[in-house]
Amino acid sequence: MEHNHSPVSIKQEKNLKGKSVKESAEEEEMRLWKRRLWGSWVFALPIAILMILERFFDIMVFGELNSLVILLIAFPVIFLFGWPTIRGGLRGFINFYFSMDSLIALGTIIAYSTGILSMFIKVQDYSGVSAMIMAIFIAGKYIESKARGKASQEIKKLLELGAKKARVLRGNEEIEIPISEVKVGDILVIKPGEKIPTDGIVTKGQSAVDESMITGESMPVEKTIKDTVIGATINQDGILYIKATKIGSDTFLAHIINLVEEAQGTKVPIQKVADKITNIFVPAILVLSALTFIGWVVFSGNWSSALGAAISVLVIACPCALGLAVPIALMVGSGMGAKNGILIRKGEAIQTMKEVKIVAFDKTGTITKGKPEVTNFVSKVNENYFWEITGSLENMSEHPIAKAIVTKAGLKNYKKFTGFSVVRGRGLEGKIGKKKVVIGNRTLMNERKISFKGFESQIKSWEEEGKTSMIVAEDGKVIGAVAVADAIKDDSVMAISALKRRGYRTVMITGDNDTTAKAIAKQVGIDEVIANVLPEDKAKKVEELQKKGMVAFVGDGINDAPALKQSNVSIAMGTGSDIAIEVGDIVLVKGSLIGVVQAINLSKATFKKIKQNLFWAFGYNVIAIPLAVAGVLNPIVAELAMALSSISVVANANLLRRVRI
Amino acid sequence: MKKVKLTISGMHCASCAGNVEKSLRKVSGVKNVSVSLMTNKSIVEVEDNVSEEALKQAVAKTGYKVVEVQVG
Repeated sequence: MEHNHSPVSIKQEKNLKGKSVKESAEEEEMRLWKRRLWGSWVFALPIAILMILERFFDIMVFGELNSLVILLIAFPVIFLFGWPTIRGGLRGFINFYFSMDSLIALGTIIAYSTGILSMFIKVQDYSGVSAMIMAIFIAGKYIESKARGKASQEIKKLLELGAKKARVLRGNEEIEIPISEVKVGDILVIKPGEKIPTDGIVTKGQSAVDESMITGESMPVEKTIKDTVIGATINQDGILYIKATKIGSDTFLAHIINLVEEAQGTKVPIQKVADKITNIFVPAILVLSALTFIGWVVFSGNWSSALGAAISVLVIACPCALGLAVPIALMVGSGMGAKNGILIRKGEAIQTMKEVKIVAFDKTGTITKGKPEVTNFVSKVNENYFWEITGSLENMSEHPIAKAIVTKAGLKNYKKFTGFSVVRGRGLEGKIGKKKVVIGNRTLMNERKISFKGFESQIKSWEEEGKTSMIVAEDGKVIGAVAVADAIKDDSVMAISALKRRGYRTVMITGDNDTTAKAIAKQVGIDEVIANVLPEDKAKKVEELQKKGMVAFVGDGINDAPALKQSNVSIAMGTGSDIAIEVGDIVLVKGSLIGVVQAINLSKATFKKIKQNLFWAFGYNVIAIPLAVAGVLNPIVAELAMALSSISVVANANLLRRVRI
Repeated sequence: MKKVKLTISGMHCASCAGNVEKSLRKVSGVKNVSVSLMTNKSIVEVEDNVSEEALKQAVAKTGYKVVEVQVG
């Protein structure tokens, strides 16, 4: 705690260092495996040739010494290149933490010992077999590690996404510094084609920014002054000056990485069974192998066959396929999701998703953009003049509707009004020169005795669409009207119809009045509307829906966190860098509803893969172990089958990538 | 309560991860453990008085090594 003065930079330093440590540790491990692979096969291959010649062609290359030569060549395979496995495996017998290695270690050592024993008593020599088992085991592990690396490629890409350097403005000078030296408040310069170093706010310039690596959104996003930018996204065509707002482990990217990593540790419920079996698997196999040996000795009296069967049981049993089945599929699935801006936070959601019958939505910020916009207007006067008057007067107010109108007017200079006043809940009025301007709703017009007959039908139709109308009058005469609405997101209609096609019941829960709510629901095609719901009651409504079936709730987490929590699967929508990361089993980085459909597709595809994998892994062990007990399988074939089973589970998970979501 | 993220090297099979998880759970003050074979990481929720050393030892006991510790 003595480093209290600058916790942020310390945290970040650790982070960077940590990443490089992890990277090299992983690389080093792969290198060691590779060395073991080559080394073991250089010796195992001659053994294989000698064994084949002896067995099938009756050729003893070294005559009587053949067995001894094999015994000698087998030694380095097991005790040099196989040493880490032997050591790790034997430790299991000391501290009772048995692993896969314990089985292989025991199997190969017993097999190797027969080579020595056979010199003294009559027993089959399995020493060549022991070398083959070890070599195949190492090869299998190597291939499996490679395939596992592939399974995590999206997530690795995510880890490497961050910028390494930043160009910071110091006085008038631009200097390049490592990303770790950037401080909050620094002004950074980003040229076209460069990576935005960290999260920030644009202070100068404008450009299109490719945010696809973070949000999955393929279209570049226009950025200009005051817009927020996300670190690791790519500036495309203009120069941007940004002020760094977040650095190191506080950035959006760091949050995403953390979330994705944490998700890997969460469990899919179906995994529990597999885990239970994995945990008792190795001891159980040790016992079974011993029983097999005893059984064979008792019933056949043939020590050689007894040994062969016992070794086969040891090396064929594969807890790996079983233990990997679920996490590997989750890894590939969540990696695919991350690439598309869908972050799976809880593995459980993948399993629950398939039971979901109802998809409930919050309205504001979820189905709609959450920000009022001018959607329509009519003007009887010159349009420029109309916006000049309207925009200038509305500029005096802070109301969200006023802000929407000011944005639409887009004025550079505002006219000066005198005698400005707000009429609460109705509108506002003011004087410009000698002209009196009133902008407001029906009520205000009626109160001021201003007739808006000519606009009546227009206003009515807007209201039926759930929009708010503001009428503009100048000196007692209406000159136009503006419709303001919280516009629907571009793909909400498409997403909801896609959900309905998949058989989900869609429900909208909103605090809006019935008219507005129904109007919006009609436009997007929502089945059921629950209107006039106070934020604190949304969870209760979800609970009521749950009586009819499992509910997925989609919201932005701003005032619907309890509803998200209540639902069976919660999907939190984000917009740009403000994502509700702490709520939601699934987080959608880009705030579009199509993400909900993708998240559902992805969950279902991933869960299907999980089931397939478990089926294979269980099936493999259920069939293979009895065969080994029965002594039908040669130990080499047994080991080969074991290696293939875990590779196949990983490969099958990688096939998930073919699914289009 | 604090959350500790351990990066562990050497785990290469499911029973390895299971062993690490079991061993970490036995450390007193450890509330919640998850070990991911895929990311080689373990996230451990522990009471504030649990030392990094105790966690490292628990991992070492099963034959694997903690290469990085992140608290937070």
